[in-house]
Amino acid sequence: MTSLARIFLGLVLVFLYLPIVVMAAMGFNASPLYALPFDFSTHWYEELAGNGRLIEAGWNSIWLAVLTAVIATALGTLAALALWRRTFRGRAILRILLLPPIAIPWLITGTAMLVFFFWTGIGRGLHAMLIGHVALAIPYVVLVVGTGLQTLRADLEEAAMSLGSTPIHAFFRVTLPLLMPSIVGAALFAFAVSLDQFVISYFLSVPGMTTLPVEIYSAIRKGFTPEINAISTILLVASMIVILGFARFARPGGIGERS
Amino acid sequence: MSGVDVTGVAKSYGATRVLTDITQSFESGTFTSLLGPSGSGKTTLLRIVAGFVAPDEGSVRIAGADVTGVPVYARNIGMVFQSYALFPHMSVAANVGFGLGRRGIRGKAARAQVEEALEMVRLPGFGARHPKQLSGGQQQRVALARAIVIRPDVLLLDEPLSALDRRLRQEMQVELLRIQRESGLTTIFVTHDQEEALTLSDKVAILDRGRIVQMGRPAEVYERPRTKFAAEFLGDANFLTGIVRAGRVEIAGAAIATEDRLPPDGATVTLAVRPEKIAIRPADAAGSGALENSLPATVASVIYTGTALTYMLRSGDLSLKVFAQNSDGSPLAEGSAVVLSWAARHSVSVEG
Amino acid sequence: MPPEVGAAGLPATRRRMPPWLATAALLLPSYAWLTLAVLLPLTAMFVFSFLHATPLGNKPVVWTLEQYRAFHDQPYLLGVAWTSLAIGLWTTGICAVVGFAAALALVRATAGRTRETLLILVLLPFWTNGLVRVFSWTMVIREGGFLDVFVRWFWPSAPSLGFLYTTPAIVLGLVHGYLPYMVLTCYIALLSIDDAVIEAAQSLGARWWTVLFKILVPLAAPGLVTGAILIFVPVIGAFMEPRILGGRVGVTMGTVIEDQFTQAFNWPLGSALAFTMLAVVLAVFATFSGVLRRSAAT
Ligand SMILES: Nc1ncnc2c1ncn2[C@@H]1O[C@H](COP(=O)(O)OP(=O)(O)O)[C@@H](O)[C@H]1O
Ligand SMILES: [Mg+2]
Repeated sequence: MTSLARIFLGLVLVFLYLPIVVMAAMGFNASPLYALPFDFSTHWYEELAGNGRLIEAGWNSIWLAVLTAVIATALGTLAALALWRRTFRGRAILRILLLPPIAIPWLITGTAMLVFFFWTGIGRGLHAMLIGHVALAIPYVVLVVGTGLQTLRADLEEAAMSLGSTPIHAFFRVTLPLLMPSIVGAALFAFAVSLDQFVISYFLSVPGMTTLPVEIYSAIRKGFTPEINAISTILLVASMIVILGFARFARPGGIGERS
Repeated sequence: MSGVDVTGVAKSYGATRVLTDITQSFESGTFTSLLGPSGSGKTTLLRIVAGFVAPDEGSVRIAGADVTGVPVYARNIGMVFQSYALFPHMSVAANVGFGLGRRGIRGKAARAQVEEALEMVRLPGFGARHPKQLSGGQQQRVALARAIVIRPDVLLLDEPLSALDRRLRQEMQVELLRIQRESGLTTIFVTHDQEEALTLSDKVAILDRGRIVQMGRPAEVYERPRTKFAAEFLGDANFLTGIVRAGRVEIAGAAIATEDRLPPDGATVTLAVRPEKIAIRPADAAGSGALENSLPATVASVIYTGTALTYMLRSGDLSLKVFAQNSDGSPLAEGSAVVLSWAARHSVSVEG
Repeated sequence: MPPEVGAAGLPATRRRMPPWLATAALLLPSYAWLTLAVLLPLTAMFVFSFLHATPLGNKPVVWTLEQYRAFHDQPYLLGVAWTSLAIGLWTTGICAVVGFAAALALVRATAGRTRETLLILVLLPFWTNGLVRVFSWTMVIREGGFLDVFVRWFWPSAPSLGFLYTTPAIVLGLVHGYLPYMVLTCYIALLSIDDAVIEAAQSLGARWWTVLFKILVPLAAPGLVTGAILIFVPVIGAFMEPRILGGRVGVTMGTVIEDQFTQAFNWPLGSALAFTMLAVVLAVFATFSGVLRRSAAT
């Protein structure tokens, strides 16, 4: 029974990783028509280095993700502190209001942003994408940091205050250090959300101001070469590294304290 | 000199009245237990003294200074939390030294005081460890060291021993008492465990639904409870309610004597008599006659616990309970007629 | 050290912000941002759905309910809706069966570090780019792709098994995309089941299928339902997967809505279709949140 279960798990993993591995391997195959047999070559990566459009889109993606992570983590952490450490009327409703960006299909959110930004003159472009990405990332940050706060006992701060800490000092000496893993985890998460975001970016992009996923999409639809495999592989590996970092920081039983 | 003075303190949460007009002095250097059932407002009172909760009315003075409007961090208090609340990201030494740092004591002076405090709680040399590496009892000691090293004006403990198992709890009670005696700190100790309160305290304050109904030395409160609640919560009691007639109280046809002052004839009073103060003998045995009160009764049931016997008795429509030593190994039979007797000074007049 | 020092060297009392002000200051940035970027846009789109035509140039603004009659006026949309629903149900169903089984295997056949590593391995693809993963399937299932090469390795004259640009291809890509959700929610639900419950059932004579269907599935139902919602909702709004894997057959509600915004420039119709879909999503949420609450209560 146990070995049967392990075989099944193995098959699930093959299903999840096989296409990714095939896709990555084809980036190292010399044939532009994906013809086999396999002929190892770094040609497509060299080609990629000279592709200004993709490189620029790549940098756009990275900057967008960095800014999204910084802004969403800062704002979301503050909100989490209010939502999990203070009691006030309307708290339940405010928590529920975090869900629409997560729960509503991105297609709807994205087109709504398109309509609204057009209507108000905010327009499209990287600035519009930043507004959208941060909004998508804030709920995740609030939930990750909020979970961290929940496992952090409130009496630690009280203990610090009983020993002479002002609330601000107690926050910086006790709460913040213990919350740091959650905050770093949340920032990595926000970074990944932005880096991988396609739908919202797609509706808010203008030619010349796109992100990598949008460029990849238009390439896939218009006809492509293994260059796209190369850049896709790079994007995939980058996300995996970021998410493994997140798992390292925010994983239950990590550095975040509970007794 | 006075350690902590609470004057006219009241607190409500919405429509629930949690504390009503608490006025109480906690003398300097004494160990006072706040004893009361769960929900009686013990924690709230302690947190008002600490400064975590602001009273709706009344004032708090610590070491002579009015601190009612002073936030927690500017009051010089030491607090031990039920969950210890040790900072998990700091070593034991950093935990204990935290309050010293806030008072500007750092470096060598701080290290010496930290080590001294750790010695006092019998954990010398544990400074470099992390809280996680300590057992529950050891964490408790560190929490205590952290609270006393700053020489607080008052040491506040909220059921600090309730998370420990029975054996460790008894051990820590002894330690706590020793440390309090050595340090001479004014201590307020919250508990709902009457035995703990009796063994540890110089003074016991009994809380009932947000009021302190009685405060005094443990023996005082036990022997002379002022209210029915105090008599029942601290120990066990029989309550006899009757009418005052010629300096005695008429109950179930008998006239019960007491040394307490009684209201004028015709008034209704309740007397409390501790079950272990009552002597029991078969109705046909000769009495000693030295005890002022006697009451005929019937044995309803006997609970045998080895060293002692608990008799449940009936006298008219009155139910009574009597504790007796199991000295001759043959308890009185159920249904047998007996005579109960006790001294006048053991009939304590209590308020409803 | 603070400059002002009170009794016993402690910081002196300072005037404090009223608590409500501090709370508001903490909340304002995030909620202002969410309002600007999500709530107001959704409101604006709702307003747009009552317009006759996209207000471009100086066309007059005409209010109408006609956009919400689209399913009546353009019957082909019913077919599209049915396709979307079928894709959503197939995807959710396959994810439920495979995901539950995988979670069960994780919980009952692995432990400790192995289990942790396997869980991370299962979840990892989910947080990588969905577009790239969909693209990667085209490498496998197109004619002459990896699948064909693999099969012809054993049977050189095999006909092509490639099924790119079919509805099953779309379902395959979506299952690949959303399976980890189901594994995670079922894993959490199964983890909370006490071993003793299963042993108790076995001691009463239950065979494995009884344990599975009478104990494990009912107790893990909240996980299954949560996973199903988390999958069904985005899947019926999918447009990129049908475009890439479905080609010409890949016409779904998602692609139709997308077209209104990027090709047809009929924003009012797109908005009305989007809100119709949102209504379905909310109905799904409302139906199942009741189920979830009931199972949480017992
Ligand atoms: N923050 C609060 N909000 C509302 N009610 C409270 C709060 N704190 C305490 N109470 C209520 O006050 C009463 C006394 O509580 P507490 O002081 O904790 O009692 P104790 O420590 O004696 O068990 C309880 O009925 C409790 O529900
Ligand atoms: Mg309490």
